[in-house]
Amino acid sequence: MPVYATTEELNATMYELWTAIKQDPDMGPKLLQSKMIAQFHYREPDGRITVDCSDGTEMKIYTGECAVKPVVEMFMKSDVAHEFWLGKIGIPVAILTGKIVSKGPVNQALALLPVIKPAFDLYPAIYSKHCSSAVAAK
Amino acid sequence: MNPFVFHSPTKVTFGEGASWTAAEVAKDFGATKTFIVTDAILMKTGILKPIIESFEENSYCLFTDVPSDSDVDTVDKAAAIAREFGANCVLAIGGGSVIDTAKVVNICLSLGGPLLDYQGLNNLSDRLGPLICIPTTAGTGSEVSMVAMVKNHKEGKKLLFGSRFLAPDAAILDPTLLLSLPPKLTAATGLDAITHGIESFSAVISSSPFTDAMCMEALKMLFENLPRATANGADMEARSATLIASAMAGVAFTNSGVGIVHALAHATGATFGTHHGLANSILLPHCMNFNMDSIANRYALISRYLNFSSSTNDNDAAAALIKAVSDISAQVGLPTRLRDCGIPVLDKRQLDELAFLASTDPAIMFNPKESSAQDIIGIYERAY
Ligand SMILES: NC(=O)c1ccc[n+]([C@@H]2O[C@H](COP(=O)([O-])OP(=O)(O)OC[C@H]3O[C@@H](n4cnc5c(N)ncnc54)[C@H](O)[C@@H]3O)[C@@H](O)[C@H]2O)c1
Ligand SMILES: [Fe+2]
Repeated sequence: MPVYATTEELNATMYELWTAIKQDPDMGPKLLQSKMIAQFHYREPDGRITVDCSDGTEMKIYTGECAVKPVVEMFMKSDVAHEFWLGKIGIPVAILTGKIVSKGPVNQALALLPVIKPAFDLYPAIYSKHCSSAVAAK
Repeated sequence: MNPFVFHSPTKVTFGEGASWTAAEVAKDFGATKTFIVTDAILMKTGILKPIIESFEENSYCLFTDVPSDSDVDTVDKAAAIAREFGANCVLAIGGGSVIDTAKVVNICLSLGGPLLDYQGLNNLSDRLGPLICIPTTAGTGSEVSMVAMVKNHKEGKKLLFGSRFLAPDAAILDPTLLLSLPPKLTAATGLDAITHGIESFSAVISSSPFTDAMCMEALKMLFENLPRATANGADMEARSATLIASAMAGVAFTNSGVGIVHALAHATGATFGTHHGLANSILLPHCMNFNMDSIANRYALISRYLNFSSSTNDNDAAAALIKAVSDISAQVGLPTRLRDCGIPVLDKRQLDELAFLASTDPAIMFNPKESSAQDIIGIYERAY
């Protein structure tokens, strides 16, 4: 069974996680500096989140469809995203085993990784808050 | 044991004169119109004649305009010609530059649409048309690999394409085509293959017993034969061994990834146009020294297998491998410092930029040891 039961749970978790990253005094400014626009496409359940740092002043976070054209896009199952944020699956192996599709300049996607690493610690609590199966498992 | 997936979909044929069967191989794939990609230097050598003559008239179209620093403009131009010709097969004959160009041309030809849409990793959703590769250098392994890189000169960037659908359908290894390869290029491309073997074997998160076996045997063949192939380009046995070994190391690295040597070589190549194999050869011992405390046990395994050391102490055996790497570069006449390759002294800003390029290069993901920008600059400065 997928770790997220619904699109709503998934989008809500990712939105809160990226909002926490945006508000973090270290991660937020570094991402803004990168001016990156990254879009994450999830399946099983479907979900989408877009993080737009392009104006360098405010990080904008959108869930679902949005008109912003991303620079890099990542496609994966929601379960893979979950394992990634728990630090249980590394990007290199996920790419080699075909679990993650990365579209666009890969180096720009990789530049984000060290910046968002501290968010790994924030994820479990945010996930538990939004996810029914996590609550049920408690 | 690491979880792994091992792909090796390329049919490999080896033999003196094997390339003359290219037209038959194309026919086996149902090709009626083959688009042949090569470069002007190779055309001049005359070695391509029997390959081209194996095709019936009107069944092929020849594109010879691949420059040494191939880019998206070349790809677009070639793809337009291939489309106009109605090509249903691509044949690459050349070094890594030609093969990578042909791979990307094949994406355009098979899938259509803007090339930039396909940039990335695992980003091809469909099989491509048949691609046959005939390498004329023994180094890159591109004839069996699932990746291709071309430059975007306008933006000063290299575009990376990686997908299992990029692996060529057939590789024809014909050592007679390498007889004209000059010693410097023989040496530099050979060191690229050695780097693939060492970095693939060291990729502890992603290597597997399949890739390990390929690396070990490839390295043995390369260390034994590269000095011979460089000293006497007509030594067919040595040419054969290095050609086969380079494809084996290619199969290995395309399944396990490479590491920090390639990350830095890509950054150096993108900034200064330094030949890929040459940059690898200079950086390799310095990067190995950097990785030593994480991977001495794996270096030691290679060192003992190649009889560079019989020591049971991993650090001693690993050090013997690093020395053997430096020795072989010197023996085949390659410069051992970046400053001897026309690279100017860099200021702090330039060093930071180079380190950023290397630290965001996908190759670095597979390195056994994490590196900071300062680490990367340190390696670069020691190699300078
Ligand atoms: N896709 C991959 O898996 C992969 C792996 C490693 C490197 N590469 C790429 O490969 C490129 C380097 O390729 P390379 O090292 O083969 O060099 P190359 O293809 O750039 O060729 C170098 C020169 O050698 C000449 N040459 C080639 N074969 C010859 C022959 N038999 N006789 C005389 N001259 C010959 C070419 O005309 C060219 O001028 C780089 O762009 C690198 O990024 C790709
Ligand atoms: Fe290489």
